[in-house]
Amino acid sequence: MFMLSDCRYALRLLAKSPGFTALTTLVMAAGIGLSLYLFSFINTMVFKDLPFTDGDSLVQISQSRHGALEGNPLNYQDYQMLREAVQGLDEMGAYRNVTVNLSGRDGAVRYSGVRAEPNIFQLTRTQPLMGRTFNQAENLPGAEPVVVIGYDLWKSQFAGASDILERQVKIDGVSHRILGVMPQDYLFPNVAELWLPLNESPAAVSRQQAGRVYGLAHIKSGYSTTEVNQQLALLMERLAQRYPQTNSGLGAYCHSIPLSVAEDGIAVVYSMQVAAVLILFLASFNVGNLLLSRAIERGKETAIRMALGAPRARLISQLLWESILICTLGGIIGLLLLAWGLEVTERVTASFSYGRQVFWFKFGIDAFTLKVFLLFLVSTIFITGFLPAWKNSGGDFNQVLRDGTRGALSKKTGRLNRVLVISEIFLSLTILIVAGVIVVSRYLEERADYGVKTDNILIASVLLPSSRYSQAQQQVTLFNQLQSQLQQQSALGDVMISTALPGMPAPVTAIAIDGKEYLSDQQTSFPRANHILVMPGSLAKLGVELRQGRYFSAQDEGQDKATVIVTDSFVTAHFGDQSPLGKRIRVVDYDGQTPHWLTIVGVVRHVSQDKPSSADGRMPSVFRPYSQLPQAQMVLAMRLKSDVHSATLALRKTLQSLDPELPAYRIETYQAFLTRKTGPMRFLSGVFLLFGCATVLLTASGIYGLMSNTIRQRTQEIGVKRALGACEQRIARQLLLAGAAQLLWGGIPGLIVGCGLGYGMSQVMATPPQALFLIATLLILIIGAVVLTATWLPTRRALSMEPAVALRYE
Amino acid sequence: MNNLLIKIDNLKKVYYSEELETHALSDISLSIAKGDYVSISGPSGCGKSTLLSVLGLLDTATAGRYVLAGHDVSNLPNKERARIRNQEIGFIFQSFNLISDLDVKENVALPLTYRRDLSKAQRKQWVKDALDKVDMSHRAKHYPSQLSGGQQQRVAVARAIAGKPSLLLADEPTGNLDSKNAEAVMQLLDKLHADGATICMVTHDPRSASQAKRRLEVLDGRIVSDRLQLNPQSEDKHHVYAK
Repeated sequence: MFMLSDCRYALRLLAKSPGFTALTTLVMAAGIGLSLYLFSFINTMVFKDLPFTDGDSLVQISQSRHGALEGNPLNYQDYQMLREAVQGLDEMGAYRNVTVNLSGRDGAVRYSGVRAEPNIFQLTRTQPLMGRTFNQAENLPGAEPVVVIGYDLWKSQFAGASDILERQVKIDGVSHRILGVMPQDYLFPNVAELWLPLNESPAAVSRQQAGRVYGLAHIKSGYSTTEVNQQLALLMERLAQRYPQTNSGLGAYCHSIPLSVAEDGIAVVYSMQVAAVLILFLASFNVGNLLLSRAIERGKETAIRMALGAPRARLISQLLWESILICTLGGIIGLLLLAWGLEVTERVTASFSYGRQVFWFKFGIDAFTLKVFLLFLVSTIFITGFLPAWKNSGGDFNQVLRDGTRGALSKKTGRLNRVLVISEIFLSLTILIVAGVIVVSRYLEERADYGVKTDNILIASVLLPSSRYSQAQQQVTLFNQLQSQLQQQSALGDVMISTALPGMPAPVTAIAIDGKEYLSDQQTSFPRANHILVMPGSLAKLGVELRQGRYFSAQDEGQDKATVIVTDSFVTAHFGDQSPLGKRIRVVDYDGQTPHWLTIVGVVRHVSQDKPSSADGRMPSVFRPYSQLPQAQMVLAMRLKSDVHSATLALRKTLQSLDPELPAYRIETYQAFLTRKTGPMRFLSGVFLLFGCATVLLTASGIYGLMSNTIRQRTQEIGVKRALGACEQRIARQLLLAGAAQLLWGGIPGLIVGCGLGYGMSQVMATPPQALFLIATLLILIIGAVVLTATWLPTRRALSMEPAVALRYE
Repeated sequence: MNNLLIKIDNLKKVYYSEELETHALSDISLSIAKGDYVSISGPSGCGKSTLLSVLGLLDTATAGRYVLAGHDVSNLPNKERARIRNQEIGFIFQSFNLISDLDVKENVALPLTYRRDLSKAQRKQWVKDALDKVDMSHRAKHYPSQLSGGQQQRVAVARAIAGKPSLLLADEPTGNLDSKNAEAVMQLLDKLHADGATICMVTHDPRSASQAKRRLEVLDGRIVSDRLQLNPQSEDKHHVYAK
């Protein structure tokens, strides 16, 4: 009953001040909405259990190098050894991502799939929609080729035919029998649309010949991920002792599949979560302060109520109801905004990948989000309501009624206001530094120089199936023909062919330099470089600048030739000022063959295979002519002479004329590829820019509110001091110095924590340390300006009163 | 009149609000000599506190001339007005207006901290002298909240006299005190007057007003009576000073 009347009273008070109610509600909506958004977004991306029975224990085992979580697959033999020895994992299975060409009614189409051990379906406790999955016998080397297809593939390629089972389909030129169809949206382990058996026996081949696989398993009950990772680390150490050449520095770790995708970026995720909590605090402090101001204004009313015998609990309840109503209304608005934001996010994140999006990217309000919402709601009600309630119900009501406290802000209130200002400065600076690092990182990423001319180029990938292009010469002939025929197309100009264009990940290999001595013959003793194969002429046409020597020419063609071009970064790292021309290097392998030395014939400007500022982007590269080491998968870069559509048609027609079962895929402009590559960062930076703007607004309004409140409460004190002869400048200086002191108290810890988080993020995002310094300096100046302005404006207002008016100020 | 401390001519103070023009003071002319003890009384809202505020340079007049100690202070810049308030005028307020964060000694020292012509030792000595005069030295380390109303007002008086001002302005100095403490404060003002202080006091209380040598009555922003009380505390004799 009392509760209801208190609630009604709070509602009446809020209705009486619509401006105040709207402001506080919107601040709360922004705080809860933004924080909740980040938590929900991150949970879906990284932490959410996969939507399968026992999804919480399902993990992927990947390879690490010198402790860095690279997320690379393991050697199949290493995986086998781990499977036999590790204690904490159950139902272990292996898989590898593959890209295949599937020949259908409309020609060949490229699909993402996996080659996996048969238990991959059992791991997800998922039964096929139709038919069955493959078994152990079908996984043996030489077994009849079989395939399980995905729902969308079944619908698109076979029109959902009910008699699909047992049909034959050509995959990479080989007929495969369709065993089953998986349910809709089943893309496990990430974007697979078809599942093939591995058909490999690692024991039958050498370590060098064994393929690379990821492990999958369930963590046994009673074991934690940490314990399993310790076991994996120990086992990998043993392997490194047994195979030092290939395994020194290598480790293994298990994570849930979404977490494995995050790799070392997990530092960014944690920083984002900290920022989300901080912005919630910021919003809560602001609303808390506004409610506190109101509570202080109503101090006399509260004193009268106490004098009339109101119990303290009732007074607290009345004051708390305001917080409950504001936070709940703000929370609901925030939740609605969140639902809209997550819907937009789903659309935006879909553009991050060329093909399908990983299956767990299903953004929306789920049980986790609602739980966090409730937690946030209770926390904000406590933070915003407790301070005013406590402050206003515990005072000396007799003193208030006697009006004996004129002249100065009470010590407790003054201290509380100072703590709030300092907290706001600390929180805002921390959030803004984190946001600043992300925004600057995106700025640098978008303006990155990859070392090539990327405009007006169409790119596409072509994968030659091993069934029909098993011989190196076949591969060389096909790509030579393709290049020459494409160049004759009117829609296309120069055609460049390479295993990886700048901006695309390339295989990294250990390189030995002739004449140099290495500590041991372990992989880790040698320097590493990107190993890229190019068709002669491609580097020049791409605009990769020649610094010394020459580009590749016809004289370098053929598997019996051994020439190489290196980047100037490679020269600087390994030859210093000496000319490298004529010197020899070799790719380190352990196949027992005679070292195959390559002579350096040219030096080109550094090109980046990843973000130029990242460690991978700074890695030197070595280029070899394609014909010296032919590969099945190549990337085409075609200078456009017409529009993209015409050029794409010309490419498809040319490929069809050469081999009707050969599709080109990932067809897009080079610029579009690079833009998509920066998509996640662009999105994140957009979110954090929003965070930053919200933070600046919340901080500016919050600190202004606090300062204004503090100085207003000191108006009489200011009047007294002026009556005693203090000049305006002196009072203004005192107040500004007090503001500056609070700036230091909040700013220094804010800088330390913000720079700590920012440094962690800059390591992952490859933001240079100078940028962090500049961000921190700029932000402390901005916050400083906010604090001083927020102090100056109410000070000026207080000083504009005649001292006589200030003395009588209520 | 070399002995003249205050001379105001045709002083006006008008407050403007959106729809209203309130004449708080209308054509007031007044002279106060050094060593005078003047009480200003009148009903609420008559303008007596406004007059005191203008005299104390806490407020500016809308029109008229104000000469303090031979200097025209009608149109001084804020900085100069602050200096005069600090060095020439001492204020005693009804609600004491002590700074609650500062102890007694610091409160009394406050006006002295705004002066550059005093050494630290001088400042200390002046504070001690002021506290001795009001008999509050023993409470120097106490905070206002630890003092009674009477004690707080004595501290406020000490603060007002600490800078050795030529004029003491008191706005209802006994308004917040019980009769016993009010009497003690009035005795203190008497003592200060006897020592040569010029005092100008706004009061509602006829007993307090009767202690002054000269009694002004204000009504509707004008001085309607200006009597010299030859025998303070009696009300039978008076002279008209006001023009």
